[in-house]
Amino acid sequence: MRADPLASTLRELSAIQQRAVEWHDGPLLVLAGPGSGKTRVLTCRIARILDQSPDERFRVLALTFTTKAAHEMTTRVAALTPGLEERADIHTFHGFCAGVLRQHGVHLGIKPDFAIYSNARDRRSVLQDALARGTSYPDRADQRLLPRIDYLKARLVGADQAEEWCASRNGTPAREAARIARAYRLYEDELRRSNALDYNSLILEAHKLMAFPAMARHYRTMYRHWLFDEFQDTNGSQYKLLRRMAGSDFRRIFAVADDDQTIYEWNGASIRRIGDLVRDFGCEVVQLPTNYRCPPPIVEAGNRLVVYNARRRMRKRPAEAARPTSSHGERHIQCREFETDHDEATGIAAEIAALDATKRAGTLVLARTRALLESMQVALKEEGVPATLLARRDDFVSPQMRWMVACLRQLARPVDRRNMAILVDAFQRFAQVSLDLDDLLFSCAAEGVTPLSAWTRMVQSAGLRSPVSELANRVAGLASGEARPATAIEEILDLLGNHESDENLKDDLSAWRRLSGEIRREVGPAADLGRFLQELDLRSKEPPPAPGSVSLATIHGAKGLESDRVHLIGIVEGILPSWHSVNADGVGPLEEERRSCFVAVTRTKQRLVLSWARRYGEWPKAPSRFLEEMGLFGRECRRGPGAGPSVPHSSPE
Amino acid sequence: MRITRIEIRNFRSIRHVTVDLGDATVFVGPNNAGKTAILDALRIALTRRWGQRGTGFDEYDVRLADDTVDPRTSDGVSIELRSDEPEPGDWPDAVTEDLGDIIQIDLFSGRRWVALRAQWSWNEDADAFEPTWEFLDAKRDPLVGRSARRVNLDRFWRYLPVFYLDALRDVRDEFSSRSSKFWGRLLRALEIPADVEAEAMRVLDELDKRLLKADPRLDAMANTLSGATRIAARDREGGLALRMAPLKTRDLLARAEIILRNEPDAPWLPLRRQGQGIQSLSVIFLFQVFVEHLLGELYEEGSQPLLALEEPETHLHPQAVRTLWHHIHRLPGQKIVTTHSPYFVQHVPFRDLRLVRLTRNGTEVRSLPASFSTSIPHFDGLDEVVAKSGDLTTYEAVSETLTVNGALDDTTYRALLSLCGAHPNRTELESKLRDLRDSSSLYITDDDLRALETQGQRMRGEIFFAERWLLVEGPTDYLIVHATANALGYDLDQHGVAVIDAQNNGNPGTFAALARALDIPWLAVFDGDKGGKDMIKKIRNREFDDNSLRDRCRTHSAGDLEAQLAADGPEAELQDLLASMGVPNAQTLRGNGLAAKLRDSKTAYASELAARIRDGRATAQSMPAAFRETIEKLRGMQ
Repeated sequence: MRADPLASTLRELSAIQQRAVEWHDGPLLVLAGPGSGKTRVLTCRIARILDQSPDERFRVLALTFTTKAAHEMTTRVAALTPGLEERADIHTFHGFCAGVLRQHGVHLGIKPDFAIYSNARDRRSVLQDALARGTSYPDRADQRLLPRIDYLKARLVGADQAEEWCASRNGTPAREAARIARAYRLYEDELRRSNALDYNSLILEAHKLMAFPAMARHYRTMYRHWLFDEFQDTNGSQYKLLRRMAGSDFRRIFAVADDDQTIYEWNGASIRRIGDLVRDFGCEVVQLPTNYRCPPPIVEAGNRLVVYNARRRMRKRPAEAARPTSSHGERHIQCREFETDHDEATGIAAEIAALDATKRAGTLVLARTRALLESMQVALKEEGVPATLLARRDDFVSPQMRWMVACLRQLARPVDRRNMAILVDAFQRFAQVSLDLDDLLFSCAAEGVTPLSAWTRMVQSAGLRSPVSELANRVAGLASGEARPATAIEEILDLLGNHESDENLKDDLSAWRRLSGEIRREVGPAADLGRFLQELDLRSKEPPPAPGSVSLATIHGAKGLESDRVHLIGIVEGILPSWHSVNADGVGPLEEERRSCFVAVTRTKQRLVLSWARRYGEWPKAPSRFLEEMGLFGRECRRGPGAGPSVPHSSPE
Repeated sequence: MRITRIEIRNFRSIRHVTVDLGDATVFVGPNNAGKTAILDALRIALTRRWGQRGTGFDEYDVRLADDTVDPRTSDGVSIELRSDEPEPGDWPDAVTEDLGDIIQIDLFSGRRWVALRAQWSWNEDADAFEPTWEFLDAKRDPLVGRSARRVNLDRFWRYLPVFYLDALRDVRDEFSSRSSKFWGRLLRALEIPADVEAEAMRVLDELDKRLLKADPRLDAMANTLSGATRIAARDREGGLALRMAPLKTRDLLARAEIILRNEPDAPWLPLRRQGQGIQSLSVIFLFQVFVEHLLGELYEEGSQPLLALEEPETHLHPQAVRTLWHHIHRLPGQKIVTTHSPYFVQHVPFRDLRLVRLTRNGTEVRSLPASFSTSIPHFDGLDEVVAKSGDLTTYEAVSETLTVNGALDDTTYRALLSLCGAHPNRTELESKLRDLRDSSSLYITDDDLRALETQGQRMRGEIFFAERWLLVEGPTDYLIVHATANALGYDLDQHGVAVIDAQNNGNPGTFAALARALDIPWLAVFDGDKGGKDMIKKIRNREFDDNSLRDRCRTHSAGDLEAQLAADGPEAELQDLLASMGVPNAQTLRGNGLAAKLRDSKTAYASELAARIRDGRATAQSMPAAFRETIEKLRGMQ
């Protein structure tokens, strides 16, 4: 018999998971708690739809929130229905919008080969150039308007409506509103002139296109089924885009969400969104309460915690643990109290260091703030434990890689002056070769060559030693079109990699390897350079965790992670929940903190260690109210070295 | 889907042509004008083989300015095809699902389209000419990313299967089970039920046995031949047998052929024994059979065959050719036809005709379009003027195209001009608008064309093959001008001059406008009386200026043709002519009386006079000066 990976995977699903996978065409919301197998349900459903329509041409659209999740789902669908995965388009919201704009952006004056400016540094320089070009006496204060512009774009307010919107909706004084609108308009003009878009414009411009019924109809026809991962994270502009695309009739929507895991309200997500979806599309609801990841005590602690949130979906069923409690009498939840934050870091680091290497690998340390993780990283390093801080990187961190990417960008966009400045600057940082950008641009105008060719000539004529001169030779090969990009890149990487034991460069090189492989698999080996760079811009440039290392992540960066052993550090009032949430008007912010705590604890497959200190820096802190809400007081807390009384106080000092 | 426009650059005799294509489009033009180049360009850009090893292009395909130019430095061949949805929503959903990555959408009308650019140019790295392709957006920028994946090209081709029947189509190839793209596939697609097949095999085996027994020599032959297997001996013994009947039913089917007879009692004969005309025609019908029975199976829902058909009239009788258009018009899919037959052209609607000519600029194509466009950037006030013009003008913002559906009237033109006044690129805009007005002034209305359909249908066949036109009043002029030209050593037929007489064919103004639109040189000779002046007035009404009219139109100074003959001609010749026609007292006629008698029997005298001019009994030099001068002028025209 032919091996049928889909059939055997479907057989392994629970009855309720199967129900979701086999769901007919109608709109469905799957409320899926942590560890309930939601990614599996999504991928199986996509595979099932494709498998049941082998002779059809329609495609399935699935939108996720990270390129990593999209990549993983694509791989899984391909494994379940080999040969049919071509019809599954799995992207992030931003990646999908980039595709729409590549194909149809012409209507908005966008060229198909636009660049995506993802990091703040690039965007600040766009605004700076825009202001210099658009005004005779640029006001330095205007350069700080970028966050205001972002705020407007994230709400789908275009440059032409900005002034009115600011004045009427936001109560901004008229002069200020006019100032913002002008800066916004100049910034947009400059982006267009550079043939570039930023992240927010991807959604904003796609939303503009979908205002035309023919465009929305095109996507409805092409994609017969739309699936959404982590729907609770959808922000207002993404949801508006979705509504426009769906028009008044489209209903084949399948969303997986958990309102208890909404932790991006600060970014426009809202626990109301799930309710909007159910109401606007008339979704039926299927719940997947079974938690296959966490042991029962953790599932119970999570259940106890989230009921304190008043704004949850009322009929949501409590999670049920699928796994038995450990039979070895192991305690799945442990608490540690320390005197100071330093004690906490060194204490937990020592505890992790004491584990044998197999248990240590993959241990996940979570915290509400990045600062706590950085201290933790230092402490682990002192113990000789390799640790990786998982955080989104919009750009490479080493000048070497920033230089190489700038070279590639220059190939794809030969007259990009701003990128040329980055190239020259980055090269100076690691090769100590200082070139004057204006000289360079002047000489390429005079000789009629591209800036990149002019740059290689200047470097080559400077009489430098290998490997720097070799690097320039490789780039010369690229610039003249004599060398194949793939080969030249490999050679450049080899030259750079031989160099030294630079940590940042090592990180970047391993990130590059992972990303370039991922992109090549996704867009095909023959994809042109422009497309490759677009994909690179959309992805985070952090390195994959080194094998055997401990992972450190903020709770907001912990989406989709799980680990046998999880440490949640700094669980005190003022950190988790944050000082801001405790002092805010209304319960909203506090509830979001509670959900953060819920997300953190439910990453655990085996053992969860919660720790706190009585003092963080100069500030005395009380243990978090969430400990009590989870029912964890009264449990024995092992005292770290130098810790005070073994039972924590419940009231702040 | 069907191809709505093809734009070709630097391909064989073509420097740059753009041709709109309809459901059926007919190309007429002299040999070597570039008709086949257009068909080939279509075929190459749509043929599956393209882009792989051995593309449809070869090195002679790149058009060069002259022999000294290195092909490697030229721009290379470029062929752009565009397929537009006829009305929003016409394309089935399957097309969107399949071609979603390359479809472009007109946001306001909702109409969808796909544009493909195929190029063949020198690639320095590969040191060879290489084919490339890309799909385009409304600004003709290539689409990148998913849209640039090769699978899109393969899918696009599946919707536009192209079938090429060239002028030399041979019935033996087309109906061969091996080499025909139609017949062989049809035969292979036949489904024979298992029981029928078994029965057929039983009968074949039986037949085989009986045939083998029919002549004893067969047995001896088999015996001798089996020596081969003994020499090439292996461990296990093989065998050799003679087989008289086909071994399999498939082999039997492969021998299927068409037989026919013309009369009930005539013998049945295979198709290849029939006349050339029937053979040629049957290939066209075979195409229809193929499309009806197999196209749906082999291609997609929404696939439309594109039939490129060269000279459908080959070997056919004129009567048959006249009806041929109706058959071809009804063939499934899109038809692109070349023809040399005036009979065929007679029934082709004017707007479907494309006149192909070779000029100093290479191949040029003329037609009678229903609209005219120019590419012009948007400027303030444009939208208002367009809105005010009603349906006459439209502006498409993305591709920056201003279109006039008819002739651009003066009010709209002036309104547009005045708006450009303040524009920084004023000169450029003005010249573009001027060009648009000029080209749209060539517009021929549907009413004009309808009038020509009713009155000038027979003429149509001839005039589209002519190189120059001569407009005259009636059949008398027609006969005499032909004979005179012949006698003056400039045979009108031989030199491709079509003489069009207004009496039989309708308004001369329409013909003059038609000639202008199709860029056909023309002259006219009319009577010097009121009737003749009316003719000139009708032409003047089509926006010809007086200089141009003076240059092109001549009239008989003495009045009508007969008056002119009476005034010019040696009286004796005319009197003799009338006498030979049995006119009493012909010898005494002079002046007005002579002219009046000639008028009494117009056609009779004209044919007799024409005959006499041809054999020298009447002198061509005495024929009206307007005729002789016009003939000389035609002779000098290039």
